[in-house]
Amino acid sequence: MTRVAVDGIDVEVADGATVLDAARAAGRWVPTLCFDERQAPFGACRVCLVGVEGAPAPLPACTTPCRDGMTIATEDPAGRRVAAAVVELVLSELPEPPAAHTELAQVADALGVGEPRWPGATHAPQPADTRHPYLAFRHELCISCGRCVRACDELQGTFALTATGRGFGANVAAGLDEGFRASACVSCGACADTCPTDAITEVSLLP
Amino acid sequence: MLGDVSRNLVELVRRHHALDAPTALDVLKEAVELRGEVTDADRREAAARSGLPEAAVHGVSTFYDDLLQPRGARHVRVCTGTACFAATGDAHVDALRSAFGVGLGERSSDGSVSLAETVCLGFCHSSPAVRDGDTIDAGPDVVARVLADACVAAAEPAWESTLAEPVLTRPGDWSGLARVLDDGVAPEALLEDVKAAEIRGRGGAGFPAGVKWGFARASEGDEKFIVANGDEGDPGSYIDKYLMERTPERLLEGMALAGYAVGASHGFVLVRSEYPLSKPALEEAAAAARAEGWLGDDVRGSGFAFDVTVVEGAGSYVVGEETALLACLQGLRGTVSARPPFPAQSGLHGMPTVVNNVETLCNVPFVATRGADAYRALSPDAETAGSKLVCFNERFARPGVYEVPFGVSMRWLCEELAGGLRDGRTIKAVQIGGPLGGILPAARLDTAFDFDALAAEGCMLGHGGILAFDDRTSMRDVARHLLRFGAHESCGKCFPCRIGLQRAHAMFAGEAPVEQARLEQLLETLELGSLCAHGGGMPAPIRSLLKWFPDELGLA
Repeated sequence: MTRVAVDGIDVEVADGATVLDAARAAGRWVPTLCFDERQAPFGACRVCLVGVEGAPAPLPACTTPCRDGMTIATEDPAGRRVAAAVVELVLSELPEPPAAHTELAQVADALGVGEPRWPGATHAPQPADTRHPYLAFRHELCISCGRCVRACDELQGTFALTATGRGFGANVAAGLDEGFRASACVSCGACADTCPTDAITEVSLLP
Repeated sequence: MLGDVSRNLVELVRRHHALDAPTALDVLKEAVELRGEVTDADRREAAARSGLPEAAVHGVSTFYDDLLQPRGARHVRVCTGTACFAATGDAHVDALRSAFGVGLGERSSDGSVSLAETVCLGFCHSSPAVRDGDTIDAGPDVVARVLADACVAAAEPAWESTLAEPVLTRPGDWSGLARVLDDGVAPEALLEDVKAAEIRGRGGAGFPAGVKWGFARASEGDEKFIVANGDEGDPGSYIDKYLMERTPERLLEGMALAGYAVGASHGFVLVRSEYPLSKPALEEAAAAARAEGWLGDDVRGSGFAFDVTVVEGAGSYVVGEETALLACLQGLRGTVSARPPFPAQSGLHGMPTVVNNVETLCNVPFVATRGADAYRALSPDAETAGSKLVCFNERFARPGVYEVPFGVSMRWLCEELAGGLRDGRTIKAVQIGGPLGGILPAARLDTAFDFDALAAEGCMLGHGGILAFDDRTSMRDVARHLLRFGAHESCGKCFPCRIGLQRAHAMFAGEAPVEQARLEQLLETLELGSLCAHGGGMPAPIRSLLKWFPDELGLA
């Protein structure tokens, strides 16, 4: 076991546990966007930055392993400042604010991030891809967190999804970007379940 | 389990590699060579032949520049690197665009010609540079020759050592490996020599090579690999290019020595596709080495087995980062992975892997032949051991690649060795070590050329490229040029870099004033938030410009 202190709370975690695991074990909230506890950590969103005693700069909680005796501060000022700035950048790439029920909206709220102050390019709005009977795709709401791709890979083992493009043009696609129906998708819904923005949603069959 | 490159895809690739299947990237590159673009039929074929799922192949095909820019019957690639920018202010790009009537990344409607952007061709000594088909031409009149369809291969740069006894500019002779094998030096002893020599990585980070080797040697694995990082993507740097093309046998020997010390029997060189002559040079040297018994199943009858495979990239700056490089080598999207695990624990095909820069590995034969003390003595006036290759851009009077000791002054390098600037121009500032390196104003040229001294100036040694901007250069244009490159090359993995560099570029793209407080907040977000040195390093030159040239940036 590894012993660490999170915001003054001593916790024991399994060897190999991450700082995020320890924070959660201590009941302390750390903002995350690309993390899903069912998946391997990804380290992409960079909003889980926390202070670690002795480290010159905040570290991402999800990909930093705990060391025995580590002292962790979840509300490190620089970490929180950067996290809020990153969430503001994320909001600025969307053509519309995220729906209130989404994880993205909730994290933005919790970090006190309002209307983004970044003018400039957003993801181009396009008609929702509703070719699949149960899964709808809205690419312009994608924030490239990779959770859907990893759900399809690690949880379902179907590999129907991929990250596409690079830089600001990054997004996700099913199959050869022909939509879910023409891809290897088995309609399990794991992607929609984990999506933090409504880029992939389940089409409700009930009124 | 940490480590975010898909373990399932890595395992799929490993199993197909064992069956000699090509990677998806190999197949997609073939398709572009044959048909000038990648079609869905090509993607399906790549999936079938490589064993990668179709969606993953689609992801690969939308990542690399070489796969994204369509090719006409005549394919013209124009270098938009920083040396070419410093030479013409991008006038060569505009001239080609208007003469051909197509934009960058476009093909004419009749398919006769296509224009692509490439960063950089490594002819920074003779900018601007253009690759027309297989010919790389460079120099002030290159646009006229392209338009006359009369390109000629550009002249090669100077390649000289300032040391009494050249180390890195000499041809390799396998004497280091010969000594190790003939004298029965144990792998552990060679490792200790390399550690004692304190060879620091020459690719940018300066991490001690011996320590990296030690981690890989100590890691458990059925197989281990040595990977030479030949993705010298820094615009303005053409050092590794000539190490691979002029002394390829030295690199191969360095890799074999690394393999001997670490317990690896196979090595890979990942060469960037912007250097079309490097892969053939390495393959020719490897074939000669096999014929002479320096590579193979039983090197010189010693029982030591080592061989090398040369793989070409497909156009991506971030692939120079070690985790992205390994992803590219496996034919996957060249995105960065969070560490740990480090490649020394889990690298190529999930096995312990040493990833060293080309120049770093080229230092090893000297240590094996002459020992750690002789190596450290190469730079008597500096903390850093060994020697360094530097290169200069076309603005200098005597551009070229030179071997120098650490610790000399930047002024001596720029004004004496490279002869100051040509055409009576004066140095306004120099950028050292690539686009992630800080910018040193002329007033600070007395700074020593060494890791710590440059770091104290907000600069870095990086790859060793020294790129002068002359007195006519607008520093706002420099910021715009660098941030455009940064945004274009972001791998798209981490949020700060993916969105932040786009926003930073937009701040400088138009004529509007740049709000300094917002810019500085954005730079902090990039520095503290980014996953790798790309997003983390792009602020460095911008910080330099804010410090030394604030009046030119149009700040508000």
